[in-house]
Amino acid sequence: MTATRTIQLEVLRYRPEQDAKPFFQTYAVPVEDEWVVLDALNYVKDELDRTLSYRWSCHMFVCGSCGMMINGEPKLACKAFMQDYPSGKIRVEPLSNFPIERDLVIVQDDFVEKLTAVKPYLLPKQDKTVEQGEYLQTPAELKKYKQYSLCINCLCCYAACPQYGLEPSFIGPAALTLAHRYNTDSRDAGPEARGDLVAAHEGVWACSFVGACSQVCPKDVDPAGAIQQAKLYSALNFVTGMVKGDK
Amino acid sequence: MSAATTDTANPRKPYVRPISKTSWFLTSARYKSYMVHEVSSIFVALYMIQLVAGLFYLAAGPEEWESYLAFLRSPVVILLTLVGLVFFVIHTTSWFKAVPQATRIMRGEEVLPGKILVTAHYGIWAAVSLFVIILAWVA
Amino acid sequence: MRVETADIIIVGAGGAGLRAAIAVAEADPNVSIALVSKVYPMRSHTCAAEGGAAGVIKSNDKLDYHFDDTVAGGDWLTDQDAVELFVNEIPKELTQMEHWGCPWSREGDGHVAVRPFGGMKIMRTWYASDKTGFHMLHTLFQTSLKYPSIKRFDEFFTTDLLVEDGRCGGITAIEMRTGQLRTFRGKAVIVCSGGAGRVFPFTTNGAIKTGDGMAMAYRAGVPLKDMEFVQYHPTGLPGTGILLTEGCRGEGGYLLNKDGYRYLQDYGLGPATEKPVLKAMELGPRDRLSQAFWHEEKKGRTIPTKWGSVIHLDMRHLGEKLINERLPLVRDLSRNYVNADPVTDLVPVRPVVHYMMGGISTDINGATTVDGLYAAGECACVSINGANRLGSNSLGELLVFGARAARHAVEYVKTARPMTDAAATAQASDVENRIAALYKRTSGKERVPALRQQMTMSMEEGCGIYRDEVSLKATCDVVAEVRARFKDVALEDKSYVYNTDLFQTLELGCMIEVAQALVVSAIERKESRGAHQRLDYVQRDDVNYLKHSMAYYNPNGDPRIDYLDVVITKSQPAERVYGAAAGGQVTA
Ligand SMILES: Cc1cc2nc3c(=O)[nH]c(=O)nc-3n(C[C@H](O)[C@H](O)[C@H](O)COP(=O)(O)OP(=O)(O)OC[C@H]3O[C@@H](n4cnc5c(N)ncnc54)[C@H](O)[C@@H]3O)c2cc1C
Ligand code: SF4
Ligand code: SF4
Ligand code: FES
Repeated sequence: MTATRTIQLEVLRYRPEQDAKPFFQTYAVPVEDEWVVLDALNYVKDELDRTLSYRWSCHMFVCGSCGMMINGEPKLACKAFMQDYPSGKIRVEPLSNFPIERDLVIVQDDFVEKLTAVKPYLLPKQDKTVEQGEYLQTPAELKKYKQYSLCINCLCCYAACPQYGLEPSFIGPAALTLAHRYNTDSRDAGPEARGDLVAAHEGVWACSFVGACSQVCPKDVDPAGAIQQAKLYSALNFVTGMVKGDK
Repeated sequence: MSAATTDTANPRKPYVRPISKTSWFLTSARYKSYMVHEVSSIFVALYMIQLVAGLFYLAAGPEEWESYLAFLRSPVVILLTLVGLVFFVIHTTSWFKAVPQATRIMRGEEVLPGKILVTAHYGIWAAVSLFVIILAWVA
Repeated sequence: MRVETADIIIVGAGGAGLRAAIAVAEADPNVSIALVSKVYPMRSHTCAAEGGAAGVIKSNDKLDYHFDDTVAGGDWLTDQDAVELFVNEIPKELTQMEHWGCPWSREGDGHVAVRPFGGMKIMRTWYASDKTGFHMLHTLFQTSLKYPSIKRFDEFFTTDLLVEDGRCGGITAIEMRTGQLRTFRGKAVIVCSGGAGRVFPFTTNGAIKTGDGMAMAYRAGVPLKDMEFVQYHPTGLPGTGILLTEGCRGEGGYLLNKDGYRYLQDYGLGPATEKPVLKAMELGPRDRLSQAFWHEEKKGRTIPTKWGSVIHLDMRHLGEKLINERLPLVRDLSRNYVNADPVTDLVPVRPVVHYMMGGISTDINGATTVDGLYAAGECACVSINGANRLGSNSLGELLVFGARAARHAVEYVKTARPMTDAAATAQASDVENRIAALYKRTSGKERVPALRQQMTMSMEEGCGIYRDEVSLKATCDVVAEVRARFKDVALEDKSYVYNTDLFQTLELGCMIEVAQALVVSAIERKESRGAHQRLDYVQRDDVNYLKHSMAYYNPNGDPRIDYLDVVITKSQPAERVYGAAAGGQVTA
């Protein structure tokens, strides 16, 4: 049996219809050790304050809804375990670097646009009808991009990325990683077909590679690594292009 | 507003939190180490300039080369070079740490473990340094 | 009120909704599509599916085998024309997913790999490690971005269908970030709103699975079919209800009672072999496994915890390499949520509510009894799942029937008459008034969380793995009471921007309707079949109940229950055989 303790949950509140700017509100929440921060928020919502808004759905770190700053770190609320916060005080804020719609809900239109812009779908190298069966792909070829296909679009990496904070036109870690995921898929026609957005100024070159994004990623996607590889590729491409005399 | 359903007024008012353009990196430990890495590259660059300058002096003739060496021997420059060395080490180690992310080498079905790559880099670094020291010794 | 128009409106952007949208776009790029979802598409609960999607592709397999497994798995309450069509089309759909980039796990030579799954005689479940649904959803979402005719309305909460003279002409939906109601006018609507596991307290279903689409169609006069069949998944984590995929057992995991004994051999599923044998022991169908747990619990052979009794899932003998490669999410979840590493520890599990076999009644084209209204995915009941769905059939279902409904709708809209403006406006303003009333009401003494809890707990108690007249009647009374008290709920949050109090209230309204259809259908089915097990009627009764239950909405009381014949083409009802006698493939 686990002991129940009470924590102080400090939540950044912002209700656009009545608040000029955000403020912290503290709730006393009795918690169980096996709870996650999301459970504490649900307790507040059900028992203490119906006006608190936040996004969540799966409670199993796969839908990517519940990214938020927890004690200053971008995390999934459903993967932030109470045991890891022994101090009795937890502070939750909406993800950094995004506008606040309300309370813990951020505006994510910018990300969705960027995701769309990188053409995140397979551009087949070779045309094949369904009747002709599947494209072959060996386990080794699969492994090459698999990690980069695990992104749940939770946006924790954007909240951690200093570059995105300073330069909002930067396409950012998750969207660039997704482009890289398709570019390195053995079935795909590759970066040339996907266009040069990735190699453009707002693309990989805007990333200064500190890896904050990879450190906070709850799914070990390693966006920093993907971007770095894409840079290498685009640099090599530039050099071979010069040698070959294109452009 | 009377009902959820009137669309006369749009009640949205997204709030953009201010980011300080000058001190944002002090807000978290991670950003601080990021800045150290970034700043260290300045020293790396300065040191490179110094080396390249040396080449020009060497090409210009023995006298110029001597004056360059004298410049290097001045205490201020030695101190600066030592500081540079520290930053150089910081820059190199933080870069090495990131190497496995940037280069994925497939060995059959497995991705070559990062540790091996990093160790190899340190190994090469040590070997080259040793070689340079021996060269300096012999010369 | 602002009006959006599109030829086809799709409610829900999970696997079914996205597949439908792409199918419309491919069938005719000039047909405009409004894809309306209360969450961003990638948050839809399809992302949670772990195990895989079944489809015949290997040379040792036959379409007939998949047909037989599905029909028998569903205890002959499946419509065999639908099943036949399903097993024929699914391999093509899964190959199509491959062409769109889905990262299916592979064999050494580059062909798609398959894994064993419960109730399937041959290994035929395509998988993408243990994140199959996640990869399918993201592949579909990302692919959908290619098509300019798909216009998305992310975070729009659909409240009602607009129906005139038995014809559907649109929906009303609240833009969540402004709180404004909008009318969507179209010639056809495809409801792909997912399941309703949240009407139970412990479920693998995410917060969004509140049966909204089922309730909307039901209120619009479409019957809900076979609602009493609720699937319990045998291996949920205690407390949270988080799922550990059937893949755990497919790969060879054991279920052990408190004595470390593989108890399934006592329930007609044996003998206990070391290597997994399909259709036997841990690879029996879900209804049988969950029922066996119930009996073990009654015999006192389960392990008590503060989250209820558990048994143990033992995967230690599978080894770290296999677990990391094929079950990484399972390892992540068990380590985090119950502090047990499957590589070295036993993992506590118990049955939890997982899937609704029932739903909006449709034909094999996804069409309902209302013209221009279609349904596909978990919210629909085409009747390929019957009384018990086989694991890994529903990811396939949402592809096959999402696409079919879409293609049919494309044909339908070519000649469909639009709804009259007068009717559309009148219905939309009814909805407007209803929501305005929620905002205005101040005297409400009922609270949404309390009502929800009372109802869901009662569902688990009275309408769970085993049921009888007494328990069902008690639950029925509670649901009726909650339904009456719901009229007294007042919003505690009166704002418009992203008001989650409002959405939870509307969702509870839907859950109550779904729960009522479910429990009343269960009372009326006086037999035991598949997932519907009655302690007072323990036999299957083909004479009286080889029929689909059809629940019709009644605004003032219990729904009316009617029955519809099951479509039988080539497989006559027989005894379901599992264990050694089933002759399942030995996996190795
Ligand atoms: C944990 C888990 C594991 C599973 N594993 C497997 C498996 O291995 N194999 C298998 O075959 N099946 C599996 N299933 C079942 C399968 O995943 C689901 O049946 C299927 O994904 C449902 O897809 P869907 O498109 O019908 O609904 P969902 O993916 O749930 O999507 C519903 C959509 O409807 C929208 N919506 C709902 N209400 C509204 C509203 N009021 N207004 C606007 N939009 C609305 C939502 O926003 C969402 O976009 C699993 C299920 C769970 C829960
Ligand atoms: S590595 Fe690049 S993308 Fe990642 S946090 Fe740093 S700057 Fe941002
Ligand atoms: S890369 Fe990681 S942190 Fe970034 S959105 Fe994807 S899953 Fe989240
Ligand atoms: S609720 Fe889905 S990721 Fe946290």
